[in-house]
Amino acid sequence: MPRVERHAEVTWKGNLARGEGRISAPSGAFSELPYSAATRVAARAETTSPEELLAAAHAGCFAMSLAGELQDPDARIAVTANVVLDEVEGKGHQIVESQLTVRAQAPGLGQGAFDEAVGAADDGCPFSRLIAAGAKVTIDARLEET
Amino acid sequence: MATERKASVTWQGELMSGRGTIESVTSGVRGPLEVDWANRAEDAQGKTSPEELIAAAHAACFAMALSNGLAQEGHAPERLETSATVTFVPGTGITKSALTVTGTVPGLDEDAFREAAEQAKENCPVSSALRGNVELELYARLT
Repeated sequence: MPRVERHAEVTWKGNLARGEGRISAPSGAFSELPYSAATRVAARAETTSPEELLAAAHAGCFAMSLAGELQDPDARIAVTANVVLDEVEGKGHQIVESQLTVRAQAPGLGQGAFDEAVGAADDGCPFSRLIAAGAKVTIDARLEET
Repeated sequence: MATERKASVTWQGELMSGRGTIESVTSGVRGPLEVDWANRAEDAQGKTSPEELIAAAHAACFAMALSNGLAQEGHAPERLETSATVTFVPGTGITKSALTVTGTVPGLDEDAFREAAEQAKENCPVSSALRGNVELELYARLT
């Protein structure tokens, strides 16, 4: 398959403490999302942060990867990613963990096959692989009744 | 202090023909965003993808780190325009993030700006999370 590139743009005004930025995607999926240092550390409504965007990327990536493993047109998959930014001694702020919560419904699928699919989805999710060097990925997965 | 940010996705159906929705991010900054395989692996047609979101996170993180580095040297920027282009090779993974920045920074020369941009590229938390697995590139210039 061909390689794919995805691009995003940010405009930042001012210093870190008081300045603010806007994030846009040429795909048109989102534009001018506001963010700032204050809202990166303490969440405030209507303002995103790099970690929130990574959480969205990881949840999106894992959900697709699991769909690829299950190969079930009736599957329903819900994934939540919680990305943790923390201060690490001697290294400053680092992304230390991404916690995935997965709830899936797939008619006729057994627990063993589901567990296997979750493991394979983690191995196959490019985002999980990407951050594995620096951060821990945890998965709480449950197969629910349809 | 640790900071946590959450996002949730619902996916229905198979990988190639199914579709997903990114919803309930912590901030509520953006309504539901649709994702699917065709928009991820082929041309983007108005839908986002994990790689686009990583590009947005990286460009945003880099802009913050650079504004901080410049201000600490006594040259707070008037304006920084940053971008990130993330390369995804299906079957291989995410292989590269290329950062660009164009800055308006009173009293700073081109070399010092490039040096500050290099530091920000090395040290921003998103770069740290990606490092080791992807190639990081930088193109920096003053307006």
